[in-house]
Amino acid sequence: MSTINFSAREINFKIVYYGPGLSGKTTNLKQIYDHVPGESKGEMVSLQTEDERTLFFDFLPLDLGKVNGFKTRFHLYTVPGQVFYNSSRRLILRGVDGVVFVADSAPNRLRANAESLRNLRENLEEYNLRLGEVPYVLQVNKRDLPDAVPMEMIRQVLDPSGKVGAFEAVAAEFKGVVEPLKAVSKLVLEKLAQKT
Amino acid sequence: MLEPSLDLYGATFDKVDVVLSDLLVKSHARYALIVDRTGFVLMHQRAVWAPKPPSLDSLATLIASNYSANAAIAKLFGEDGFRETVQQGTDVGTYLEELGDKALLVTVFDASAPLGKVKLFTKKAVEQIRFLLEGVDEPRPTFEPDQAWSDDTGALLDGLFTERTHP
Ligand SMILES: Nc1nc2c(ncn2[C@@H]2O[C@H](COP(=O)(O)OP(=O)(O)O)[C@@H](O)[C@H]2O)c(=O)[nH]1
Ligand SMILES: [Mg+2]
Repeated sequence: MSTINFSAREINFKIVYYGPGLSGKTTNLKQIYDHVPGESKGEMVSLQTEDERTLFFDFLPLDLGKVNGFKTRFHLYTVPGQVFYNSSRRLILRGVDGVVFVADSAPNRLRANAESLRNLRENLEEYNLRLGEVPYVLQVNKRDLPDAVPMEMIRQVLDPSGKVGAFEAVAAEFKGVVEPLKAVSKLVLEKLAQKT
Repeated sequence: MLEPSLDLYGATFDKVDVVLSDLLVKSHARYALIVDRTGFVLMHQRAVWAPKPPSLDSLATLIASNYSANAAIAKLFGEDGFRETVQQGTDVGTYLEELGDKALLVTVFDASAPLGKVKLFTKKAVEQIRFLLEGVDEPRPTFEPDQAWSDDTGALLDGLFTERTHP
């Protein structure tokens, strides 16, 4: 849930990158870190295993600057994608304002994508949230793979209604990284503005 | 909805600030931080003699997630939570107390501060802060995130990457 800190004059949001293991969530945060100028970002924190798999989360704070005297800050998190880290994933969703679902275009990960999305729905329920109510976009990553599953097929599996904003990406090359972040953030801002 | 995690503003903020400074003086701890359970820093104090702290954002996020992981461990054993959360290294340690159900008070100390004192004065500070928060009678400031605010913030977002992608 977005919060305001009146004494520090900050408005805070939390965005979570969700998706199956190895779909490219950590890569997104690293690329954002590498491409955002220094004054707008904080340190990146990664809690990972020796072989660089996310164990708990990655974390990157972004500072957009001030509007009406209040600073807007986004905290970006990734979850560990592997099935057995579900309790960690659930903890990271606490207070979430928006989700970027990072899907993998590899044919053998189609089912993992679907399972991860179902898992996201279940974990959101723990916080009495429904995916339809949480600002949410889809990033279809690894479009560079020679055998990448066609977009249409991935969308049919992950968003049959076609209502969710979807972005093709090659996160490792910083392609399609900025767009889903901006899109989900704007949905979060819009949602807040509409309530008042 | 845009609400504060704790009603820390105006006179209450100033009073809590005094409580934190007092805690640092009496316990001889380095830093005292109030963080919310989603990992945002709400306020902090640093002892005049203490070295510059590490990134407070990193610290707050790690404290909040460590707390929630510990609470999940406790739950596995049918406990509501662990009563005490102390971490002690060779030179530096942290001590954590819950501050209501939305925030945490964390004291960071080094070898110059006896753990007993840190615990005692952190516990006392928590009581004082709870009391202050219960007694808030100032009206909460308001901030209306309207369409113009959303548009302006969205424009900042558009500029977030520009410096580096178009040098
Ligand atoms: N081919 C390809 N590989 C990628 C892409 N993005 C990330 N990867 C690779 O996929 C692997 C897993 O990425 P990582 O970000 O750790 O995945 P996570 O488990 O979702 O955090 C790494 O070896 C990345 O280099 C991409 O767009 N294309
Ligand atoms: Mg990862």
